[in-house]
Amino acid sequence: MTTSTVLSPRPTSTAVAVQARHVVRTYGRGAAAVRALDGATVSIPAARFTAIMGPSGSGKSTLMHALAGLDTIDAGQILLGGTDLGLLSERQRTLLRRDRVGFVFQSFNLVPTLTARENILLPLTLAGRRPDPERLAHLVATLGLTDRLRHRPGELSGGQQQRVAVARALITRPEIVFADEPTGNLDSSAAEALLGFLRQAVDDLGQSIVMVTHDPHAAAYADRVVFLADGRIDGELDAPTVPAILSRMARLAAPATTGAN
Amino acid sequence: MWRLTLRSTLARRARLALTLLAVVLGVTFATGGLILTDTSTRLLDDQFRTATAGVDLTVRDAVAFDSAMGVEVARDPLPADLPARIAGMSGVATAQPLVRGQGLLEVAGTPVVPSGASVLASWAAAPAGSFTIRSGRPPAADDEVVLDEDTARGHRVRLGDTVTVRATDTARLRVVGLAGFGDRAGLPNSTVALVTLPSAQRLLRLGANVSEVAVVAAPGVTPDELHSRITATLGADYEVTASRDIAAAGAAAARDQLSWLQLVLLALAGAALLVGAFLIANTFSIVVTQRTRELALLRAAGATGGQVLRSVLGEALLVGLTASATGLALGVAAATGIRGLARAFGVPLPDGGLLLTGRTVLVAFAVGVLVTVGSAIGPARRAAAVAPVAALREATAARTGRVRVVAGALAAAAGLAATAAVLAADAPVPLLGVAALGAVGGLALLGPALTPALVRLVGRPLAAAGVTGRLATDSAARTPRRTAATALALALGLALISFMAVLGTSVNSSVRQSYAEVITADHVVESARNEMLGGLSPAVYDRVSRLPEVAVASRLRYGHWRDGDATNALTAVDPATLPRVAKLRFTAGNLAALDGGGIVLAAHVARDRGLAVGDDLPMTFSRTGTRTLPVVGLLRDGDARALSTDYLISLNTFARFYSEEMDASVLIRTADGTDRAAAERAIKAALADTPTAQLRDQAAAVAGRTQMIDQVLGLVTVLLMLAVLIALLGITNTLALSITERTAEIGLLRAVGMTRRQLGWMIRAEAVLVAALASVLGIVLGAGFAAATVRALGRDAPTVLAVPAGRLLLVLAVALIAGLLAGLLPARRAARLDVLAAVGTP
Repeated sequence: MTTSTVLSPRPTSTAVAVQARHVVRTYGRGAAAVRALDGATVSIPAARFTAIMGPSGSGKSTLMHALAGLDTIDAGQILLGGTDLGLLSERQRTLLRRDRVGFVFQSFNLVPTLTARENILLPLTLAGRRPDPERLAHLVATLGLTDRLRHRPGELSGGQQQRVAVARALITRPEIVFADEPTGNLDSSAAEALLGFLRQAVDDLGQSIVMVTHDPHAAAYADRVVFLADGRIDGELDAPTVPAILSRMARLAAPATTGAN
Repeated sequence: MWRLTLRSTLARRARLALTLLAVVLGVTFATGGLILTDTSTRLLDDQFRTATAGVDLTVRDAVAFDSAMGVEVARDPLPADLPARIAGMSGVATAQPLVRGQGLLEVAGTPVVPSGASVLASWAAAPAGSFTIRSGRPPAADDEVVLDEDTARGHRVRLGDTVTVRATDTARLRVVGLAGFGDRAGLPNSTVALVTLPSAQRLLRLGANVSEVAVVAAPGVTPDELHSRITATLGADYEVTASRDIAAAGAAAARDQLSWLQLVLLALAGAALLVGAFLIANTFSIVVTQRTRELALLRAAGATGGQVLRSVLGEALLVGLTASATGLALGVAAATGIRGLARAFGVPLPDGGLLLTGRTVLVAFAVGVLVTVGSAIGPARRAAAVAPVAALREATAARTGRVRVVAGALAAAAGLAATAAVLAADAPVPLLGVAALGAVGGLALLGPALTPALVRLVGRPLAAAGVTGRLATDSAARTPRRTAATALALALGLALISFMAVLGTSVNSSVRQSYAEVITADHVVESARNEMLGGLSPAVYDRVSRLPEVAVASRLRYGHWRDGDATNALTAVDPATLPRVAKLRFTAGNLAALDGGGIVLAAHVARDRGLAVGDDLPMTFSRTGTRTLPVVGLLRDGDARALSTDYLISLNTFARFYSEEMDASVLIRTADGTDRAAAERAIKAALADTPTAQLRDQAAAVAGRTQMIDQVLGLVTVLLMLAVLIALLGITNTLALSITERTAEIGLLRAVGMTRRQLGWMIRAEAVLVAALASVLGIVLGAGFAAATVRALGRDAPTVLAVPAGRLLLVLAVALIAGLLAGLLPARRAARLDVLAAVGTP
């Protein structure tokens, strides 16, 4: 898995990083209740780059939050590397996020008072673990952050901030990284660089990555796109291309295909 | 716009609740103090008016002034034939002779020692007498007594019981009646024993003389007419006073004794409101920062800057009104609480229904609204300056303005300069108050600029403890204005407490030191009640000095005199025996010279007044009017303090000017070869008949002298705790608000694996950090100014700085623990934050 061919098709992997079975998540009560997830079942393969797409309100962020143990579910099951998240206490879910999961959010990824280096090491520091200097050096070099480590987030560009977030997500060697619209606030060249890094992490490090996006160009970097509509899985697309994604999205027949999730 | 203001205030009621609380507590304090003062005043007025209700005029011996330092002066008795002379004048309906004095009550062998007076008086029926029989009958025979109902109830005395009354003479008397006073069952904090006129004369050894004559005018004669008639007949030796003037003077004297408490309460209310003002300004500025987008949106939608300004001020007005109303209600409860507290610290306040005056209501609302609206002006102006485009921008941190830094530096420098002027250049001591104001003002202005560095310094141990501690420190350092204001509010309270503690301890230990250096007596006898003039029966001296175990007994007496408009105290000593029980060091003249009728001054008094040995000092005495005394000696300041006053005269001179027959201390040297324990036994035996006389060692004698300081110190410290409580609420408030502001950051930390416990720890650490910062600032400031004050006081009497390390450490510990408690609620709130909601917050 050292190939650098970005869009090379690969055989279907047998390993599963995380899977959802008949997951239901309802917000609100009574007449105002909204079923954000309505029986979603999906398997995210390990060592692959998976994109989740869908129109606004389709439940893609909710699904990601559920898969990552950020949110609880009302029915169904989430298995992350064989761990049933539903059986975990709040504290166990926190520790799972800290030790086994990485996150990259759309914005506000970094603690403003900590330097870039401290932000990268945050999950390890919280766990009271020492960083692996080689891994840190490798990540920092790959992401082009070597001379930015002493800077605080306010002194970094948007792209640099997101790259620091990626480094933080990868530093713990997590089983899976969740990225929620990671390029939503970046200009196109910074976005492409970031997506390139994510792709590289999958290819070079065998990292499993799940990315929620509404941008077909971003989704095209993934190995597979999972489409979501009305809280259910509405098909998947392997080796996606931009035109294929666009035509698929058009068929999802949602009122709006743009805007934030 | 007004409806919008109301809506937005209500929408953020949780956020404003704590602010409200800060104002409420400040107003509560101010109202409580005012209510208590008004109530005490009215109760005292009532009491003294009742005492003279049915009497038009009172004839007494003439004096130059009738009370000093809240103590009524003793008057010479009136000749026995005077009542009959007055009764014979035309226009007089009644001329009732009255005797009053002190008589200690003893029930079943145990002395009843009230915190107030032990009144012994002759019974007189209304209108001349002010007591009314509530059960039983008035005293008719000389072995009968009437007690006040309160005392009888409190000590289970029934009609027919026998009690002992100890005045100059002692008698066992049968209780035949219980009396009330006006609509009350007795005099506050006092015991009352009413006996027949002859019995009172005998107990007080007045012979046939009387204390005063109560005069009731005949129908058709006005008191004014009668006043001139009696005055013309009796001449200047007697004083004829309208009863209402006596009542007013008596009430004023009693109020005098409480005036310091009123000052303390008002000062504390001021401190509480100042602390409150800091918190309000803080809250509003946080709220305005958080609402920047909302305000910008309003501006973009067409609201003018003035409308935004009025909207924020309107919100402050609503908060101020609500808080004032609540504070007013709570103030009534607080008045009762403070009264109980004062009593617990040995400061008796008159008991009775509370009085809420229109002035109190007005002050409550004025103070609450003005402080709130005034504190909100700064934030409101910043809100009005929000540009419409700010709706689209990220908020940026405000920098400390240069003007502010310069102004702060100037204020702080002025404070330092004033302190230096007092210490080095003998500038007047009150300048230290100005210096303190300058320092506090400077600190308030410089706070935001200094805070980041200070926080990092104080937070070093925290930061070393791990990233959670680092984050707590950073968070406090990141919002310097907010942290500074929060910490300063607490620091003010702690500074006042530290100031009181250091000053009180220094004065106490200096008094102790002077006393130990000067008084060489083996034993001291003093009254256990620590009365203003000593309160020791002269019988004590007579008995003790006759004991074979006692080689020397020397007594001290205190007297008040008028020094221009001021009232001063002097000490009367026996020049022959004092040197054998005290080591006095004179800078000029000597003690023996007192025999000639002169006066010895403390050295600093002579310096301040420009007097030397041979000069004359005019003094006004109550009984004799103004007399001029030659200065015959100058005594070292510390030695004078050991004898309690700065003016010494001989006992013989004292007898010429005063009629008070009361000793303050009897200093005793035991005979050579006498066993100490045996001497103590002998002295105690001699004191058996004078229950309030107490044999004291040096420590107890010093404690008696410092008791007042200890009382005030204790009371003020407890009351200051309230100011500290308000400041702690400030920490809670600020943290709670800043958590709302940091929702996204907290969500991120939780998402990447910070546990709830770690998060809670972080928030509590920040609270403790602010408390620590405040403690350091407060204790340094308070102790520093106390040290300067001690130095300045040292000019008048040697005062050494004594730092109560244990007490200050206790203050620190309490502040830190309280900081921890203040952080509990915000920490819980932060830990409960929904990770998702936090992550989703842009």
